[in-house]
Amino acid sequence: MEDLIVAFLRSGTPIVYVALAGVIAQRAGVWNLGLEGLMIVGACATIVTIRLTGSLPLALAVAVLLCCALSALLWFVVEILKANQIIAGLGITGLGLGGTALALTAIFGSEAAVNAPFGLPRIGPAFGAFGGLSVLVALMPVLVFGTWLVLCRTRFGLRLSACGEHPFAARAIGVSPTLMRLWALLLGAPFCALAGAELAAGSLQMFSVNMTSGRGFMGFAAVIFGAGHPVGAALAAFFFAFAGALGIRAQLLYGDRVPSALLLALPYLATVAGLWLSARLGRRSTASGPNELGRL
Amino acid sequence: MAGPQPAGASAPALDAGNVTVRYGSFTALEGVSARFEPGLIHAIVGQNGAGKTTFARVAAGLVAPAQGDVLIFGEKVPPGDVLSARAAGVELVHQSFALPPSFTVAEVLQFVSPRRGIFSRKAIERHWQSWLNDIGIDLKADARIQDLPVESQQSAEIARAMVSDARLLILDEPTAVLAPEGIERLFARVRGLKARGVTVFLVLHKIREVLAVADTVTVLRGGRLVTGPVATVGLEPSALSGLIIGDSAGTIDAADRAALTGEGETTHASSTPPARRPGWAGALRIRRATVPGGPYGHGLHGVDLDVDEAEIVGIAGVEGNGQRDLVAAIAGLAPLTAGEIEIGAQRFARQGLAARRKAGLRIIPFERNVEGLSLTSSLWENWCAARLVGRSLFSPAGPRALRRDADAAFQAWDVRYRSPDQPAGSLSGGNAQKVILAREIDAEARLIVAAQPTRGLDIGATAAVWNALRGARDRGAGVLIISSDLDELFDICDKVVVLASGRSVGSFTPPYDIRAVGDAMIAAGGHGQEDLAP
Repeated sequence: MEDLIVAFLRSGTPIVYVALAGVIAQRAGVWNLGLEGLMIVGACATIVTIRLTGSLPLALAVAVLLCCALSALLWFVVEILKANQIIAGLGITGLGLGGTALALTAIFGSEAAVNAPFGLPRIGPAFGAFGGLSVLVALMPVLVFGTWLVLCRTRFGLRLSACGEHPFAARAIGVSPTLMRLWALLLGAPFCALAGAELAAGSLQMFSVNMTSGRGFMGFAAVIFGAGHPVGAALAAFFFAFAGALGIRAQLLYGDRVPSALLLALPYLATVAGLWLSARLGRRSTASGPNELGRL
Repeated sequence: MAGPQPAGASAPALDAGNVTVRYGSFTALEGVSARFEPGLIHAIVGQNGAGKTTFARVAAGLVAPAQGDVLIFGEKVPPGDVLSARAAGVELVHQSFALPPSFTVAEVLQFVSPRRGIFSRKAIERHWQSWLNDIGIDLKADARIQDLPVESQQSAEIARAMVSDARLLILDEPTAVLAPEGIERLFARVRGLKARGVTVFLVLHKIREVLAVADTVTVLRGGRLVTGPVATVGLEPSALSGLIIGDSAGTIDAADRAALTGEGETTHASSTPPARRPGWAGALRIRRATVPGGPYGHGLHGVDLDVDEAEIVGIAGVEGNGQRDLVAAIAGLAPLTAGEIEIGAQRFARQGLAARRKAGLRIIPFERNVEGLSLTSSLWENWCAARLVGRSLFSPAGPRALRRDADAAFQAWDVRYRSPDQPAGSLSGGNAQKVILAREIDAEARLIVAAQPTRGLDIGATAAVWNALRGARDRGAGVLIISSDLDELFDICDKVVVLASGRSVGSFTPPYDIRAVGDAMIAAGGHGQEDLAP
């Protein structure tokens, strides 16, 4: 049982982080489909920098900076060049997936997986079976709470939400929705970097091409399933992770009888089911996103 | 509440110097110069498209003028800078409200206020509730904007504007969304603000309202200043309506003029309908129609409605009281859960729009640019779409002939256009509406549903729409017109039915009594005061 919970926390945490970034962007009125790309850039930057410099703080800083730069690029394309949000977001994802593969080839000469000598610090043996989890897992509830506090209980958060829900309301009091969306994307970028860092350096200490394998999109789905609320999105992310952990467990138990491809598809099927469920429950206003979302 | 500062007391509240605003090639305001004294209620009037809203937005810093300056209480405000305008004490209450629908009243007030830091929901609700009580606005701080009736949403907007101690409060067409009784309450509030030393600008388009509340009036026409500000004391309504209309539309009859500018207290249908002919069975008969309410409205609850041939029936009511559901039900877009609908003595249950059109139903929809026309399609395509509906998929249609017919129809309807191939989006509102009229009003029309047919149109185009509907009526069609403008309904309708909270609550015939109709509009409780009290 403890193993299952550990596996569950381990696989859920990166999705929670990336979902938080999605929530912040969605509140400001951006459907951020670049999450997958940002996450893999975060993962790649962390491992490669540790490998090259041996410094974890530097690795995290590089990951955060690269994610900020890519987010700023997304903002520029969407808000200044007025490109379609969905296409631009998918472009960032493509850029991240392709760019990390290219970076591996350029630095190490092949696309083979890269190992790092160490990863993120662990919470320690004092916590028994949970000791192997990284500090980012422990930090996660704090950051979910913090995001909720900022988004739902500060004037800044209200203004951010107004930009997504009714940009004219923001403009009418002198808040620029365009600028606010830049802040939202820049605020979300470190979460994407941490999501990538946790995925690659939380327990594995390695990076391989395509290693996010759709977790960014799962985070995006969690934003919708969680009705754009930080806590809701975190719970949704864990729901997907739970399905994933169950899938792995099922593979061990029933792998000989049920096709393993089907069991591997479990988290994705859960995502689809979750989205169907959230549409069925017919949450008002936020499930389908703020009114003005994506309408540019 | 801060009154006018001693230093600024003598300076004009607003001093506009030669303000010109252009949107692309369109000039919305042209060289407008006017000075407004502080501490008064100023009305700004004009037709649709006269530049009233643009003027209000320039004053509030939402629109940057191409040239000219704006001085607020003697202080020059940088053009198009909302923050500076707000700092100078200007607040604008928008026509279509600018509040995020999912916010609570307390969140809205917090969102505009200078209060920073982390808050708890309870604390801000307590703080803003006591603040609301202090300034005498009857609202619950924990109510969500989307759950509030229109009048309360407007109160929330006014409260929002008062958060930053507005010294100059601009209300953009505040009466357009209110029932007559709500208008009186609004005016009482405006007078209360004046007593506190706030200068109030009201963008209005009814002379009756101007004379009831304003100290001065300013008339705009075609983006230019016609007169003002002039004192309203001793002003003749007919002189003012002449200034608003100008000589651009000289052929409008007196009753229509009065209705267009809201001159009088009561108005009458200006022509009498032709006598009933044998064989007429009614253009529309609705019995106990019920449609479930959705996110956008009340739905319908047992509505009864009759429209005879050669009769214009008006649906009065505050917006959002089931008007859209009614049109959707008649069109077959919203299935009835109970009750029945007959169009031209033919009963319809599940049949779609094509079958209903065949029975003579014609619709002039609410949203001209979304439901009425395909803006990117050519004019002739827009025009012929209706006659292709219901034909077999492989029936031949000759574009050349259709284009020629469309051309002839547009000529007959006096549409101003260059070519039938130009996209519908390139026409002005009035001409676009005439394209829809040309399509919808034909010899086979038995029931014409006109939803807000004159919204946003200038006076000439409005009169043209009225005459078209009267013409259709005189040829024997039943006309159902939905409007939130009582002057319009009273002028052209043979009967007015009031819709409130999705129920038909009263039926009136000429001579109309604006009070009685107004009472019915709020009678069903959908917008009564009892909803607003904490």
